[in-house]
Amino acid sequence: MNALRRYFYLTSAVLSGASLVIMTTLILAQIAARFVGAVIPSSEDFAGWLLSATIFFGLAYTFQEGGHIRVTMLVTRLSEAKRRYLEFFNIVCGLAISGYLAFYTIFTVYESYDFEDVTDTYLVVPLWMVQSPMALGSLFLFIAMLDSFGIMLTGKTPQYVQNENELSASGVE
Amino acid sequence: MDMTLVGGILVVCMLLMLTSGIWVALTLTGLAIIGLSLIDNSSIGLLLGTSSWSATTGWSLTALPLFIWMGEILFRTRLSRDLFEGLAPVLSRLPGKLLHVNILSCGIFAAVSGSSAATAATIGRMTLPELSKRGYDDSMAIGTLAGSGTLGLLIPPSIILIIYGVAAEVSIARLFLAGALPGLVLILLFMAYTAIWSIIRGKTSGVVDDISYSFRDKLLALRKLLPIVILIGGVLGSIYQGVATPTEAAAFGVFGALLLSKILGGFTIGSFLESVAGAVKNSCMLGLILVGAHFLTLAMGFIGIPNALAEWIASLGLSPVQLIMCLTLFFIAMGCFLDGISVIVLTTSVVLPMVTQAGIDTIWFGIFLVLVVEMSQITPPVGFNLFVIQSLTGKNIIYIARAALPFFFMIAIAIVLITVYPSIALYLPTLMSS
Repeated sequence: MNALRRYFYLTSAVLSGASLVIMTTLILAQIAARFVGAVIPSSEDFAGWLLSATIFFGLAYTFQEGGHIRVTMLVTRLSEAKRRYLEFFNIVCGLAISGYLAFYTIFTVYESYDFEDVTDTYLVVPLWMVQSPMALGSLFLFIAMLDSFGIMLTGKTPQYVQNENELSASGVE
Repeated sequence: MDMTLVGGILVVCMLLMLTSGIWVALTLTGLAIIGLSLIDNSSIGLLLGTSSWSATTGWSLTALPLFIWMGEILFRTRLSRDLFEGLAPVLSRLPGKLLHVNILSCGIFAAVSGSSAATAATIGRMTLPELSKRGYDDSMAIGTLAGSGTLGLLIPPSIILIIYGVAAEVSIARLFLAGALPGLVLILLFMAYTAIWSIIRGKTSGVVDDISYSFRDKLLALRKLLPIVILIGGVLGSIYQGVATPTEAAAFGVFGALLLSKILGGFTIGSFLESVAGAVKNSCMLGLILVGAHFLTLAMGFIGIPNALAEWIASLGLSPVQLIMCLTLFFIAMGCFLDGISVIVLTTSVVLPMVTQAGIDTIWFGIFLVLVVEMSQITPPVGFNLFVIQSLTGKNIIYIARAALPFFFMIAIAIVLITVYPSIALYLPTLMSS
């Protein structure tokens, strides 16, 4: 179970990181191509789709690492027992909202597939193909939250709380 | 349902959700869902699906993870040491001496990094031990770091300006140009305060480094700054001259940062992977917030709150300056409890129509917002620069906030300056063609 869990978050991180690296390479290739007078067709659109993949694929990993920001002023000031209740409330709300997001992003991709929508770009691609990272990534986030919820039910502290406590010095803010 | 009632319910929900500790991005999404169901919208889920897609696929938004990644790479090199060693000899004669190293190296690092906490962390872990070893006043060393760390937000490339630009549909290249001069003004204000403080205190009390450097030493030291200056020149120069879009410049910046770390040495495959993981974490965090913010903006438009607010403000007949004063106080209060990004996205989804209604320039407003957010970075209880310095020094947050207080007022002076002389922000963008 723990190995499965590790692989799950690793997959999320690797897919997201790979999308980022490919996106960067693509943009650099486009700059290089421009110097020799060539054009990589639809490279700006592909960069946008890769951005969407970077963002959505990595949501679960970021959640596990405590990377999604929230106001922890109240939770960190409560006693251990009260904090547990509040964290339960938070994760249930989180489950509801991320579940809603996952359901409807999957639905959006399904509709694109059903209507056989294609992109309005120079290189025509089926829309559902480039949209599917959005649906998969949202589903990953929901599963990650479900995972933390399960851990809480067993009375343990989920990983994201532990990681939040070790403040990351390289935060974006 | 009556709009005032809907607005009231949403504000209460927002306060409840945020303070109980629900993730900011999910709170924004949740608020939009609640708001849309209150006005009986029948296609909430479909709106969410399409808005999530369009929120994350913009070409100009691709600059965001790239600039984050560039900062993550440079964070893992010995750049901060080079900045210290390069600047220290040159600044050793100014009143305040090496305290200015804090300010200037933050200013320089800010020009390759888009974030304030990363700037404070990168520079601080190098300078704070050095300054304390030499016997500099602790609170002044911490204060200069906390204050000038916030330059990361204003001096381009700036993550928060990209977010504002995307949300408010303003050209990011123009915003970057607009941020440059106010950033320099802020550096001068910080340095002036430090110099005056040192003169009033007689001398930089208890400092032990009375080494005098020859002119040759200074020139040799400055050479250490050369690689970073070339990188800044390449990235920002190409945007300013209009030869590259911010996205292209950012991709080039990643390439340059990798090259630089290769030359500086000590950058391994391990640090490469760490830099990617760090970039992923920060980009996904911001990405999900953008998804929520985009959806909330859409929902707000359906409910009609921003327009109603704009009409209400117009009916009050406030002058722009009065409006700016009210907004500043409001944002400072908000910034005490919320992080800067949340302040920006909540603002653009609700306040922006009101601001354009009052005839305020959206580029100027972006710079103003960033300055206010800079203040919020160093005000307790929620101020990210305070947290970073707390983890660097182990000092308590109230002590750090008090040390940073003079610099809070310096930023306030900068706000007054750009309000009285808007051209500080708006002159450079006019130079850009097209």
